Amino acid sequence: MDVISNSKDANKKKRVNRSAKLKQSKLDVRREQWLSQVKNKGSKEENKGGVGAKVPVSDMHEGNEGGRGVAIAKLVISAVGEENENEGLLMSDWDSPSNSPTSNMSCSLASNMSNRSVINFAGSSCRSSTSSSGGCGCFYSDMTEEDDGDDGCLDDWEAIADALAAEDVKNECENKTDENENENGVEMSFESETERVKEGVVEDREKVNCRAWRPDDAYRPQGLPNLLKQNSFPMNSDRHYGGGTVWGFKNVGMSLAPLTCPICCEDLDLTDSSFLPCPCGYRLCLFCYKRIFEDNGRCPGCRKQYEQPDQGNANAALKLARSYSMIPRR
Amino acid sequence: MVDFSRVQKELQECNKDINVSGISVNPKSDNLSNLIGTITGPVGTPYEGGTFKIDIDLPGGYPFEPPKMKFATKVWHPNISSQSGAICLDILKDQWSPALTIKTALLSIQALLSAPAPDDPQDAVVAQQYLKDYQTFANTARYWTESFAKTSSAGVEEKVGKLAEMGFPEALVRTTLEAVGGDENLALEKLLSG
Repeated sequence: MDVISNSKDANKKKRVNRSAKLKQSKLDVRREQWLSQVKNKGSKEENKGGVGAKVPVSDMHEGNEGGRGVAIAKLVISAVGEENENEGLLMSDWDSPSNSPTSNMSCSLASNMSNRSVINFAGSSCRSSTSSSGGCGCFYSDMTEEDDGDDGCLDDWEAIADALAAEDVKNECENKTDENENENGVEMSFESETERVKEGVVEDREKVNCRAWRPDDAYRPQGLPNLLKQNSFPMNSDRHYGGGTVWGFKNVGMSLAPLTCPICCEDLDLTDSSFLPCPCGYRLCLFCYKRIFEDNGRCPGCRKQYEQPDQGNANAALKLARSYSMIPRR
Repeated sequence: MVDFSRVQKELQECNKDINVSGISVNPKSDNLSNLIGTITGPVGTPYEGGTFKIDIDLPGGYPFEPPKMKFATKVWHPNISSQSGAICLDILKDQWSPALTIKTALLSIQALLSAPAPDDPQDAVVAQQYLKDYQTFANTARYWTESFAKTSSAGVEEKVGKLAEMGFPEALVRTTLEAVGGDENLALEKLLSG
């Protein structure tokens, strides 16, 4: 009974920010949608930990209207029981960054409390969110001490919502990619990247209040993906074709492509240099390719017949090249 | 219309390492579709020491169509017409690829000089001689090289004149010179011995 009343108190506190909370719960639902998608794939890995705390957490997510923050509050309170004022601060903190990864919150818990069950929980949820950052525990405990005002919460929420909205778009891109190719590893790494970006957003509000990690930031973790690269990555998914593939293709293509077309000696633009019409790897510009294809259709490099563009890999390469060519013009 | 930017670039590239490759290409006229290429005779062949000129005519579709090449210098070779200088080489016909260049084509012709293919001849007479009497073929080829492909050494007429002055009949001097491949001293020995 204590547990329930405590959690109700906590809920009352949170209803001060009612409008923010409604929006937030929407965001939570969206976040859970893709998180559950990820979990389906990553569940094997998570269960290796043997703690088994992940399953109840996700159950509570579904049952609870508040989402993650409340769910964790209940769990922690049931484990620890009565707590000091510090915990109240923690609760208000959870309310605001409930969009931030579970691992961070539970890390802060772990640093504040020495209860063993809580530590276990922290460990398991760290695993479940596949976050790999080590120093987040101290960082979030610092933030907890500072951050206790409602206004702060609201600012917080706006900053995080912006970041999350941007990331939802990215996630859509990612889902598209998954449809094209079901590569677990790619997805997992992508997710951990977005997690880290989120951490960056949260911490940045504390320091600069407008942007994520700056490239020259001393606190910027080594593993953080290059922001410049991310900015050049298209954010709307309409013209986007297989995001991850294009990214990888770009890296490979740029390093191997010649600067000029060996046939006509004109400079290769980005479309041309990512165009690979023949498995032998011979590159040429699209004009020369068209000319040859309409003539005898044999690759100049290996004299093999080009594949028909309707079914063949030439067309796929063309599509890739076209979608890729959109990127640098943004 | 010939892709002149590519031709220009090819000429520059080719004349960069002219001392190493022994292959040069120069425009015959100022429109860049008529060129003159020169190759040196491969060492260890009857063509050694010769410098062979090749007429290059670039068709409008170059580089998607092969360049038209023929020997301007007379050559005694199974795959090269002794009359017209026409060259029988697959990469100048159906095996042409736009990835090839004038220089690589000339290199292929140079390789053809050191590795004749008498089973697929351009000049049937030469091919017959190559298959039946290689030594005569080699001598004739050497003589032709000596006679037509060497600009620095004394001309054949000069040698004939010298030997004729020694008292040998001119017709005999010519055939003997041809038989030994144009070498003046060998011809003299042969004339003296027989």
